[in-house]
Amino acid sequence: MNTVHLRFAFFLPLALTIIWASAAQAKSITIDDSASQAIEPSVSMHWKTAAPSRSGGGNPMVGTMTIRVRINLTPWLRHSGRIYLSLPAQAPGPIGLSWITQGRLLPGQLQSGSRVLVYAGRITTPFMEDTLTFQFTVDGSLMRRAVPVTYHFEMDED
Amino acid sequence: MSSRPERLNACTLRPALAGAVLLAAASTSVLAYTATLTAAAPEAIYLQVGVGLFTGGNYTPIKGDGQPTGTPGNNTTINNVSTYVPQADVGNGAAQAMTTDSTATQSYWDGFTFCSVPAQLYIGGFYRTAGGSTAAAQVTATVPAALTDPHGDTLPFSKISWTSAGNDDEGAEPFPAGTFVNGGVQTVGTMASNTWNESCWTFSYSNNTVPKSGYYSGTVTYTMTTP
Repeated sequence: MNTVHLRFAFFLPLALTIIWASAAQAKSITIDDSASQAIEPSVSMHWKTAAPSRSGGGNPMVGTMTIRVRINLTPWLRHSGRIYLSLPAQAPGPIGLSWITQGRLLPGQLQSGSRVLVYAGRITTPFMEDTLTFQFTVDGSLMRRAVPVTYHFEMDED
Repeated sequence: MSSRPERLNACTLRPALAGAVLLAAASTSVLAYTATLTAAAPEAIYLQVGVGLFTGGNYTPIKGDGQPTGTPGNNTTINNVSTYVPQADVGNGAAQAMTTDSTATQSYWDGFTFCSVPAQLYIGGFYRTAGGSTAAAQVTATVPAALTDPHGDTLPFSKISWTSAGNDDEGAEPFPAGTFVNGGVQTVGTMASNTWNESCWTFSYSNNTVPKSGYYSGTVTYTMTTP
C-alpha cells in the first residue's frame, strides 16, 4: 500500500461520520396531535388598535384561540428529544403567533416560516398535554377573506 | 373556525409501531392543525364636518387593551359658514372671507389644535377596513343648484370656494381646495383605508356679481361612501 492509498483510507471514514451527523440533526418528525381540541370554534380577528394610524401603515389584526393540546409521543417514549412548534410560511403572508401555556410546554412566539422550542428532555409519558392560548397577528390588509393557518408540532430526536 | 385535515390517528399508527418513525415522517402532510382566521366586524367609518362627537376622550392614546380612549358618536349639528358683504363692496370682485359657527378646532385623533375658528371648518375622519389597502372611501358634497333668499332670488353655489390647510400640516390634503358646483354631487376628498384623514377648509365668496340684496342660504350635504 503506498502513501496515496493510506490517505484515502483515512479520509473516507471521517467523511462518512460528518455526513451521518448532519443527517441526524436534520431529522424532524411531525408529531401526531390528532387528540388536540380547540375550545373556541373560531378565531375572530379584531383590530389590534381600533384607531387607524395617521400614516396608514401598520394595521395588525389579532385573534386568540385556546387549544387543549394532546400530542402523541409514543414513538419517542423513554427517549430524549426536543419538541418544536412550527408555523410554516404560508399564504396570505407574514403571520405572527404567540402563545402562553399551563406550564407543561414552554410559552413563546414566532413568525411564519420558523419554529420555536416548546419542550426539551426525556419523554416519560405516551402523551403530553397542555392548554395553549394562541394569539395570531396578521396585517389587516391581508385579511381579504378567511385565512386558514396551519401549524404543527415536530420532534427532533437527540 | 378550526378544522382538521384528514389525518392518521393514534390507532392507525400502533399496528405499525416498529416502523413508527418512518410512518410519521411519511404522513407529515396530514399531521397539522388548521385554524381559520376570520375578520370580525372589520369595517368602521367616521366622517366629521364641523363639530363631531367623541365620548371619553380622543382616539389616542390607545389603552392597554388596544382600544382607543374615546368612542366616536353621532352629532346631528349642522354648522353654518357665512359672510356679510357691505353694500358698498357688493360685486367689487374682492373675495369675501367666510366664517363658521363650528367650534371644532381640535383633532379627535390626539387633541391637537388643528383648525382655527371661526376662519376654518374642520373636516376629517377615517375608513377602517380589512383586506386590500388600495381602495379609498369617497367623500362627496351634494350641492343645490343655488343659494336662495326668501323672495326666490338665487345666487350660484359656484361663487363659493375653499382652500385647504391645517396647523403644522404637511403633505397633500385629503380634502383639497375646491369650488362648489351649481347643483349636483361632487367629490371633495378621499380617505385612504386605515388612515386618519383631516383638513381645515377656509371658505370665501367670490363677490364678482351684483345680486339683489338679501339673505341667501343653501345646505350642502356631505356623504362618505366606502368601496
